[in-house]
Amino acid sequence: MGGIIASFGFFFLPLLELKPNRLASGIPFELLQLGGDTRYIILFLLTFIVLAVALNRTTETRGWTLVALGNTMMFLTLFLGALAGANLIGNAETLLEGVNLRNPRILPSAGLILGLVGGYVTLFGGLSDLRKAKTPRVALIVAAWSGLALILIFLLTGQFDIYSVMVEFRARGELLGNRIVEHIMFVGVALIIGFVLGVGLGLWSFRDERMAPIILYVVGIIQTIPSLALFGVLLVPLARLGDRSASSIFLFLLVTAVIAALAIFLYRRFVQSFGPRLRQAFLIVTALLSAVPLALFVVLLSSFVFRSSFVVFTADGTVFASFRTLLSAMLLVSIALWLISRYLKKGLLKRIMRYGGLGGLALFGLTLLLAVGIGSSQFLSRVDSFAALTVRDLGVSGIGTAPAVIALTLYSLLPMVRNTYAGLVNVDPAITDAGRGMGMTPSQRFFQIELPIAFPVIMAGVRNAAVSLVGIGAIASVIGAGGLGDFILSGIDNASIDQILLGAIPAVILATLLDAGLRGLEQIFTSPGIKQV
Amino acid sequence: MITFENVVKQYPNGFRAVDGLSLEVAPGEICVFIGPSGCGKTTTMRMVNRLISVSSGRILVEGRDNRDIPAEELRRKIGYAIQQIGLFPHMTIYENVAVVPHLLGWEESRIRSQVDRLLELVGLDPDEQRDKYPRQLSGGQQQRVGVARALGADPPIMLMDEPFGAIDPITREVLQDEFLQIQKEISKTIIFVTHDIDEAIKMGDRIAILREGRIVQFDTPDTILAHPKNNFVRDFVGADRALKRLGLVRINEVMDTDPPMVAYEAKIEEARNIIQKRKLRSAFVVDRDGRLRGWVDKEAAERETSLTEAMAEVPYSDIAVRQNATVRDALSAMVTRSFRITPVVDSKGKLVGSISLRSLQELVERDDSEASEVSP
Ligand SMILES: Nc1ncnc2c1ncn2[C@@H]1O[C@H](COP(=O)(O)OP(=O)(O)O)[C@@H](O)[C@H]1O
Ligand SMILES: [Mg+2]
Repeated sequence: MGGIIASFGFFFLPLLELKPNRLASGIPFELLQLGGDTRYIILFLLTFIVLAVALNRTTETRGWTLVALGNTMMFLTLFLGALAGANLIGNAETLLEGVNLRNPRILPSAGLILGLVGGYVTLFGGLSDLRKAKTPRVALIVAAWSGLALILIFLLTGQFDIYSVMVEFRARGELLGNRIVEHIMFVGVALIIGFVLGVGLGLWSFRDERMAPIILYVVGIIQTIPSLALFGVLLVPLARLGDRSASSIFLFLLVTAVIAALAIFLYRRFVQSFGPRLRQAFLIVTALLSAVPLALFVVLLSSFVFRSSFVVFTADGTVFASFRTLLSAMLLVSIALWLISRYLKKGLLKRIMRYGGLGGLALFGLTLLLAVGIGSSQFLSRVDSFAALTVRDLGVSGIGTAPAVIALTLYSLLPMVRNTYAGLVNVDPAITDAGRGMGMTPSQRFFQIELPIAFPVIMAGVRNAAVSLVGIGAIASVIGAGGLGDFILSGIDNASIDQILLGAIPAVILATLLDAGLRGLEQIFTSPGIKQV
Repeated sequence: MITFENVVKQYPNGFRAVDGLSLEVAPGEICVFIGPSGCGKTTTMRMVNRLISVSSGRILVEGRDNRDIPAEELRRKIGYAIQQIGLFPHMTIYENVAVVPHLLGWEESRIRSQVDRLLELVGLDPDEQRDKYPRQLSGGQQQRVGVARALGADPPIMLMDEPFGAIDPITREVLQDEFLQIQKEISKTIIFVTHDIDEAIKMGDRIAILREGRIVQFDTPDTILAHPKNNFVRDFVGADRALKRLGLVRINEVMDTDPPMVAYEAKIEEARNIIQKRKLRSAFVVDRDGRLRGWVDKEAAERETSLTEAMAEVPYSDIAVRQNATVRDALSAMVTRSFRITPVVDSKGKLVGSISLRSLQELVERDDSEASEVSP
């Protein structure tokens, strides 16, 4: 079906656009105008025949036929498009008479996109057929990726250079690499911090049902802020924050945390005796009060972690983990340990994790104090200088990658918290009861029953967060964080679709790969007994 | 052995779900808790393995106050099966049954043979089912696994909360029969919660009838049916309790072990003789191995000249009842087939006795004269 739609699009919509130069708008060309290239028409007539045959066969035959068809369509659409495009460029002088020609280029147009989409849809249909027919995994993977691999090979060998995106790519290839790395960096860091905090908070809300509404409210509130606004909102306070001394901001964090803790305590203590209205009001106030220290904490944490140089490359080629990296890792691990230990009930494991986590936090604070105190000492300045520590030195600043990481971390919290909580809460009570009745300790129940059953749901939250962070990350470019958003924004400024695509296509690929990778992890670690079929 | 001493459970909201309950479950017996919904059956049961704490009084498990035993240790020694089954969906059948042995740190080889033994015990083929996941099994099979899992580490005590409650009536009967068979082998001390009086009568060695957290009557099924203590119990067991009592008696306990029979090869005169001598309307025909082949009635025997022509030849399962069925089954067979006398066979179809409508009537009359109350 998709294939048919695409083929129609192919015939009747403009396939390519010939542009006289980078900025001017182009002239569309339809398939039938493209120099009588009959190969196309034959190809697509052929596909109809194959399609008609395929629809009557067993799922397996049909699956393979559709897969072959889809792959061929995607590849040939690009390949023949490139051939036709070369033709157009060659005849550009005559086709665009009187227009000032400077680097004429070929822009893929609606028909070509439809051709690709149609191929993809066909391929997808075939794959689901094959899955139904229980085709071996390896064969499935080959079936799914062979067309893309072929396209990639042609891309890399320059066969598709005729397309304007590729022209753009050739011009900015090196930059693209940098941008992708940046993008991966701040999305990745935000994701890791978000994972530790989000899953931790999710566990906490599961463990303590009176905390659940507060925590869910807090992350919910954060999520409602439009992303652009959040980046903007962070700009001013973070810039201001940067000037403060580190100790004053820690003091502020401490004070707000105490206030929040007090609010939470009061809420948990007295909310039972309130009517529903008052309860709701109290909940919102408490949640807002707790949101401040949480957000501040995320700010400090994300800035600190991100600003750390993760590895230091020295001249002789050895790689050192920097002092800050170790500290950051310790900080994250400590938080993770402490949050998980909150979930566990009495037991050795709980004590180990709790004291390990608290100890790690204490050590971190001590080191930081020490660093502030003797910041200029030989030892520290050699490794990483903490001298004259202001908040900015901790990484907090109004623009750049740090605020991007902060905002992204905050955004990743909701899906992670919500899914962790929902996954655990929705474990059938009969199952937990059976585990209890058979003499499992709380931690055995958690690790052997609740976590494995909730795992796919938690992972769905992580995937959700990952994919949306890649997208939201593009906006981080407005505050100077770099990343793929740079191309997209300048593309919008210049009304240059090529540039937008140069940013968007890698972002889509990145999100897809991230999703696929996480899905793979999910598949590997999910028991077949609870996998969706 | 489980002893309840003046046990009270008051929930935090002030509600007294169990209110001064004392009771002793003897070793190796099935003690059924029954009563209307909300009467405290589940609460009482769950206090034994400390899933619910006792407010006052105490519960002794094999002579020790159960609060002196660490909760996890206690629970691993007490099998636990519930209506919702609660199999772990992400674990295979093997892993499910192996949970408690694993918790106890058994050797893998020992666990393996234990799981196989238990699966066989509950009527599942280990090789076929071991590696399946719960969702691949039917409800009845899942509950079998639930029972096997509860038996995981051979606990001396089992708690079963409406274990067959969510299963269709036919499968439920099968599971009940099987479980009674298993219990003969394993002799566990069992607390069995149900709200189905027929199940209680069938499964229980003794039945505790609960109402609002107290015991109304604690007796054997027969005594409860014959001597309900008050109107509550009488209503609860139902007006057909005389009939239900017949369900407690096995046919081979009351049948006539000298049934009227003639050999298949015998002459017709022999059949006439037996019928005349015993003043009957018919006699049963058996083959050389004593298996029931059919019957011959008085008129036919007098009319015809050979036994083969006079007799009605039918598969034994159509006319006979099994000797280990209950008298109630015999009665229902006689009513549906309008027989006055029914042949009783063993599992191979061998005629071992007969039971007549008249003897059933005598049985009921005898019971009634024992009972203080007669219900029409
Ligand atoms: N956690 C609880 N808090 C308050 N009341 C409860 C709680 N659990 C059970 N109850 C009440 O205790 C009574 C006995 O419950 P239960 O033992 O489950 O009854 P059943 O005999 O049906 O198994 C019921 O009326 C029930 O509403
Ligand atoms: Mg109950």
